[in-house]
Amino acid sequence: MSARTITLTVNGETSTLEVPVGMTLHQLLSEGLHHHEVKSGCYIGECGLCTIILAGRPVNSCLVFAAEADGAVIETGTRETPEPGRLSALQQAFVDFGAIQCGFCTPGMLASARALLQRHPRPTREQIVEALAGNYCRCTGYQPIVDAVEAVAQGTYVPKPAPAAPYVGGEANRLDGAAKVTGAATFVHDMFLPGMLHARILASPHASARIRRMDVSRARAMPGVKAVLTGADVPYKLGLYMEDKDILARGVVRHQGEAVAAVAAETWIQAKLATLAIEVEYEPLEPVLDVHAALADGAPQVHPGLADYSWMKDVFFPRPGHNVAHHQKIRKGDTAKGMAGADRVFEFRFRNPAVQHAPMETHAAIVTARPDGEVEIVTSAQSPFTVRSLFCRTFGLPLHRVRVRVPCVGGGFGGKAGIHLEPLVYCLSKAAGGRPVKLAATREEEFNTLPSRQGLESVVRTGVTKDGRIAALEVTYLWDAGAFADYGVNVGRAAAYAGAGPYVVPNCRIDSLVVYTNKIHGTAYRGFGHLEVLWGIERNMDLVARGLGLDPVEFRRRNLLRVGETTITGEPFTAGHGRPEECLRLVGEALGWDGAKDVPQPPAAPGSGRRRAKGVAMLHKAPAMPTFTSCSATILFNGDGSANLLVSGVDYGQGTYTALAQIAADELRLPLEKVRVPWDSDTDFTPYDWQTVASRFTVMGGNAVIEAARDCLAQIRGVAGQALGVPADEVECGDGRAWAKGQPERALDYGRLVLGYTFPDGHGIGGPVIGRGRYIAAGLTNLDPGTGQGLPALNWTYGAHGVELEVDTDTGHIRVLRLVSAFDAGKVINLQQCRMQVIGGVVQGLGSAIMEKFVFDRGRLVNNTFTDYKIPTARDVPLEMKQMFVETPHPQGPYGARGVAEHPMISVPGAAGNALAAATGVEFFELPLDPETVYLGLKRAAEERAKGGGKAGA
Amino acid sequence: MGDLRYERPGTVAEATALLAASGGGARILAGGTDLVIALRGGPPCDVLVDIKHIPELGRIAWTPAGGVEIGACVPVQDVAEDERIRRVFPALAEGAEAIGSLQIRHRATVAGNLANASPCMDTAPPLLVLAGRLRVAGPKGVREAPLADFFLGVRKTALPAAGLITAVVLPPPAAGLASGFDKIKRSGGHDLAVVNAAAAWDAKAGTLRVAIGSCAVKPVAIPALEGVRPGADADATGERLAARALEHIQPIDDVRGSAEYRREMAAALCRRLARRLLGAGRAS
Repeated sequence: MSARTITLTVNGETSTLEVPVGMTLHQLLSEGLHHHEVKSGCYIGECGLCTIILAGRPVNSCLVFAAEADGAVIETGTRETPEPGRLSALQQAFVDFGAIQCGFCTPGMLASARALLQRHPRPTREQIVEALAGNYCRCTGYQPIVDAVEAVAQGTYVPKPAPAAPYVGGEANRLDGAAKVTGAATFVHDMFLPGMLHARILASPHASARIRRMDVSRARAMPGVKAVLTGADVPYKLGLYMEDKDILARGVVRHQGEAVAAVAAETWIQAKLATLAIEVEYEPLEPVLDVHAALADGAPQVHPGLADYSWMKDVFFPRPGHNVAHHQKIRKGDTAKGMAGADRVFEFRFRNPAVQHAPMETHAAIVTARPDGEVEIVTSAQSPFTVRSLFCRTFGLPLHRVRVRVPCVGGGFGGKAGIHLEPLVYCLSKAAGGRPVKLAATREEEFNTLPSRQGLESVVRTGVTKDGRIAALEVTYLWDAGAFADYGVNVGRAAAYAGAGPYVVPNCRIDSLVVYTNKIHGTAYRGFGHLEVLWGIERNMDLVARGLGLDPVEFRRRNLLRVGETTITGEPFTAGHGRPEECLRLVGEALGWDGAKDVPQPPAAPGSGRRRAKGVAMLHKAPAMPTFTSCSATILFNGDGSANLLVSGVDYGQGTYTALAQIAADELRLPLEKVRVPWDSDTDFTPYDWQTVASRFTVMGGNAVIEAARDCLAQIRGVAGQALGVPADEVECGDGRAWAKGQPERALDYGRLVLGYTFPDGHGIGGPVIGRGRYIAAGLTNLDPGTGQGLPALNWTYGAHGVELEVDTDTGHIRVLRLVSAFDAGKVINLQQCRMQVIGGVVQGLGSAIMEKFVFDRGRLVNNTFTDYKIPTARDVPLEMKQMFVETPHPQGPYGARGVAEHPMISVPGAAGNALAAATGVEFFELPLDPETVYLGLKRAAEERAKGGGKAGA
Repeated sequence: MGDLRYERPGTVAEATALLAASGGGARILAGGTDLVIALRGGPPCDVLVDIKHIPELGRIAWTPAGGVEIGACVPVQDVAEDERIRRVFPALAEGAEAIGSLQIRHRATVAGNLANASPCMDTAPPLLVLAGRLRVAGPKGVREAPLADFFLGVRKTALPAAGLITAVVLPPPAAGLASGFDKIKRSGGHDLAVVNAAAAWDAKAGTLRVAIGSCAVKPVAIPALEGVRPGADADATGERLAARALEHIQPIDDVRGSAEYRREMAAALCRRLARRLLGAGRAS
């Protein structure tokens, strides 16, 4: 490729350099000029992460050739920073409004906002929304970003006051706010190690095929190529709960997009070209494309060797020969008797498509297979210790010879739990003589090769009494798990024990089957198992209530779990579980629900204008995790009395580090600004944590931090007591100082105590203060294989959503006018962070409700880019959102807190579906409620009514 | 992209000479929002001819008679924001505004949108109903032809080898010409059209034209309804327009929508546009 010399000015700095023609401006800025704040997420101008200001205009730098920028003046989003250590008003407003979570979209958002304010210093809110709508964000739900820009533009922005003790229950800003608005935060995508190679993979074009022949000789001979691997070179099985996945396909491919070969080369493009030179001869096989085909007699087996795999025994129950990776049963009471005694029995079938997390930062890992046999992994993952343990199990390596480091992570949502690219990258590094190798998934690979939320079909049969009590429930959940079990088996397990919703069901029978098919596999995705089953369960509650002529809110209220009842696994519901009925009451009140007026409207014909209605849905979820998971925290003091809090849970946007710092500050009697939580988790330096999943970290990590802080405080009191000449228990602490009871004027700063105290004569006592805290989930049991009875849940969180929407029957488009939510959070540690979790989760849930789905054509995923997989933008958020919290303390939670991170996403589809049914008088059973589905649903219903003649509208 | 070169001509003559000399190996680079993507893994190209530094291509020029010439390098956002275009040719301003995200609109051009010839381009239906023309410079000089003759199929146009669109030309509108654009997409944010449509009503002549995109291999200009006078029933006219449109489109099923939904939405857009342009009718 010929080169061209260009001169350009970036953020005020002019450089002249030679660039290859064909290099994009994004590549030049991020890799060539080290403007790592210019992120990337799709390379096709859909996501806006790479937005810069070029000659005064916001543009996607991935769609500009570097050569075009000759003579150009460019600004990036972090041009905002007045000087190191200081923030502009816009940056500070982003931090103060909670407009940041993972931070990967933040520099691009700032660029768009800055460009807007340059062109229109006093924009309207509509102009702000339009200016930001080209920038995707998966965490924040956009509203706080728009609010921040609006406040600055309108001149109404007043910086938030510094938080004051006690911090728990306050609204402290995120600890990482400044790092993210200035571009200082480092993500794996931004990282380039000396000598690093770039990897690309070759993916299967077939859903199911035998690999007859592979020839990599041409690829090996290509320029820059240092390693080429096929399945034959990497004979290892991987898996979180079920070891069923090859690192590269061996012998057969099991889904379109499965990696069959990989290359490491000096440059990205060399690696890409080499993958194209690999010859693969496939013999296409009949793929298994849905759960019914997979379960049919004589169906081709996705894993003929299933019986010989290793899996977590006593927890998961595969059925070799039947394409079943796990069968979870729940048996409570006697459903036959319950149904027989019911006044009415209803049966409905519901469907959810596979959908994707779409984190703004795709999966990425850099691995070095060091010549001394040690392994260094830097990865965009949720769980460094689980990456390490699964990695070592696969390769037979001792844990202490492998180091896993996780810097800032650009969104996870469950998709980066477990282990994904790391083993392949390790094998490439090893084959390339130990040079570091980086593999960052393209957006297409993120969709096609990395896992999704698996699809579901539910059949729900409900027996009810005339007075609106559930007598019996029989449910079959069929999970379209795709080619590998990954998290899918645990999704099927959690979905079963939560599979009746937060209701009293005296007789319950649930069969949850996790079924292998030849599609991209499922994994954990925010609220896994629960979002999916509660679509059906919460639609079912409305359908049954309406069938009985009851108000669906009242029907729910009559059946909600209450003290004295048991869950479907036999767990007694106690006062400590929280108050689902209060969540429902708050949502009903905020929505203005009136059971007499909020009734379904007569069926709407397509093309009959707009309709409005309201709907509600309940939700519940507990951490879905093994019964014995644990975590730890250490606190190390610095000589000035500040403290570093070390944990290995990962804060990929949810705000948990801020919550933990608040807890630590209160417990240590230390100003919050003196607590640092280093952002990198590192298995060499930060203490053990199982995984950052399941909304468990503020709860479990919070308990560990309390213990660690109290450990520190005891040490500080001990030293201070000696220094002050009083017993330790007479030492009081506050604001980073310790004093003898009644003598605050003689207080000692922590700085004089925490590395050891020195008496005036020079002799020292004590020594560095190091606090240790631990927590292990206690009191949980495995579920009985035959009945599913047991104690699976550390802490249930209950909640409810209410939706008011408008549907345009001319086109099928839904506009959400209001979305109100309530959760029993036990204790709100940080109100702002909790609210932001809710706003972001609600908007993500709305994506699942009204627009997102994988579209397959004979096993081929046809919408594997942001061009055709649409996610919500700033234009798609509800006009009004409200977040409410009930605080019924949980006995085991820190300060009584429960997890509330995943929950906001759950049951948004159900609430929207119920509102849509009420608005149109037509029932919808399948997600998403996208315009075409809604419009054609109305059309079909109208056709049915016309056929039914006189029965129309009855 | 073996020896990809980048050229930055300063005049139209230089540009067409570069195109002619390349023997078909050149690609014209204006906004680049389609080209940069197409060149990744697409057919190779020898030389990028960046026409953004030819001053005359960067201007919106009004003729004394009230027509407008939009230079090939004018970003669509400038078309969308242009007060006079919004007033005189609202369908075009709205079509321009419907393209992509703001970032795309600050880069993409109307000429590039047309030259890319995707069936879902948002500026084609407006220009078809507004009798748009393309001015094309080539080795043999400059020619102007109706846009209606330009599209041949999916990503196929009548642009001659070594030809360069220099401007999109709109003739002066008939007095009182009303026009509008509308689009069905899958989300509230940026999305390609499932169906798009533009309509123009010349009340004096009584003609109501509509053009529909994403419903055939190229945007379809539907034969005009005649005799649509002021006071015509908007809903009835919309039905007539929809019925006529449905006779001329051949949508397919694809990932963005089914043929059935597209037919329904093409009709819905006809009704909506008729109501909007003729006034009266049910408020939408």
